Amino acid sequence: MGKIVAVHSYKGGTGKTSLSVNLAATLAKHGKKVCLFDLDFRAPSLFAVLKSENSDCWLNDYLNGTCSIDKVLINVSDRIQGNENFYVALANPATEAIRDMSAKDRKWEMRALGKLLSLRNSLLRDQKFDYLIFDTSPGLQYSSINAIVTADLVVVATTSDSSDVNGTSRMLKELYSLFEKKTGLVLNKVLDTALLSNKTEMKARVKNIYQVPMLGLVPCFCEVLRAEGNLIFAQEKPNHPFTKILNDIAKKIDSNEVN
Amino acid sequence: MNNYQCVVRLNKPSMFSSTKVHIKNTRGKPLTREEIFNKKPLHVLEKIRENLERLNEKMEIMIEIQKHGNKELQPLSDAPLDVMTLLSMPDHLRKTAMTICRCGRATADEVAQQTSRARAVESAYLNQLVIMGYLKKERQGRKAYFYADRDNQGDH
Repeated sequence: MGKIVAVHSYKGGTGKTSLSVNLAATLAKHGKKVCLFDLDFRAPSLFAVLKSENSDCWLNDYLNGTCSIDKVLINVSDRIQGNENFYVALANPATEAIRDMSAKDRKWEMRALGKLLSLRNSLLRDQKFDYLIFDTSPGLQYSSINAIVTADLVVVATTSDSSDVNGTSRMLKELYSLFEKKTGLVLNKVLDTALLSNKTEMKARVKNIYQVPMLGLVPCFCEVLRAEGNLIFAQEKPNHPFTKILNDIAKKIDSNEVN
Repeated sequence: MNNYQCVVRLNKPSMFSSTKVHIKNTRGKPLTREEIFNKKPLHVLEKIRENLERLNEKMEIMIEIQKHGNKELQPLSDAPLDVMTLLSMPDHLRKTAMTICRCGRATADEVAQQTSRARAVESAYLNQLVIMGYLKKERQGRKAYFYADRDNQGDH
């Protein structure tokens, strides 16, 4: 059976969406049947990144129980050459929808957790998806914790920012360990060239701070920032170092190297 | 036809020694030795076993209550089994509750296979979660299934 991978972080702006989109695209390029979920209901962004047409059914509607998951999934295989199995489930970017989602109560969140958990049967088992990638909201809030509980593996994106390091390590110790989640860390936007040249030392340092294995070390690439979120690097720049790092991360995830 | 009833009566935890198993016919009179052994003895034994299993579950709950005190067993008013509730649970119950969340519906045996803990331990934790109002329990024959009733739970 396939896997659910949630991409999460303590703070915003760590590159979760960029990692999610490119990880999903990389797995799709490797021939996997993939669906990318926008679970950041407070700041939906995949709608803009994938320039998908207006949807009649959003992920919000699926969680509200007003529409089936099949109606939410949009085939975006035209964005990935040679793969017809790349789908996306979008969060509604309308202000009213964002307001509605932020006012949900605990009962609704419990049902939403049930809906996310049932994707394991409907998409992984019945429709033979290999990967569901959840792009989540940062920090500790219902939608992101629901995603973490549902996932088989959580990829945590973090930067070298001291408040991010502090918050991420606390979050890993106090939240992730309680749920006994398989977790891999991606250190993103690394500027320190000395550390980049000594990856072994960097991995040991990360392991020492966070107590979880490192999945990847991504330098701060100006080209990625310059693309302003409009490029799927894994598809459009196949020889770029960012794409190669994503390839390595995807291979590690696919071969179950994260324990 | 079900002509017999088996009633296991458990009075108080302090009175385990006085637990009695009565086998009665439908008229409420205790069966004679002849009746038990000549008429459908297997069916009667099945009933006894079923009721002894229920008795065992009740005893496991009482042992758990004594071990952990009563404070964990007070249900929060209108508290569904959401992620924040899972976070605030003691570790031993969270593991069980998470397994039910993943499986949807499972017996104590199935949960024990996932958590690598003893079936009796899981049975006690599951029943504790039922008492706390987070899980529902449903019997199908001799098997007891536990699940989180997401459609109705928390609605008052």
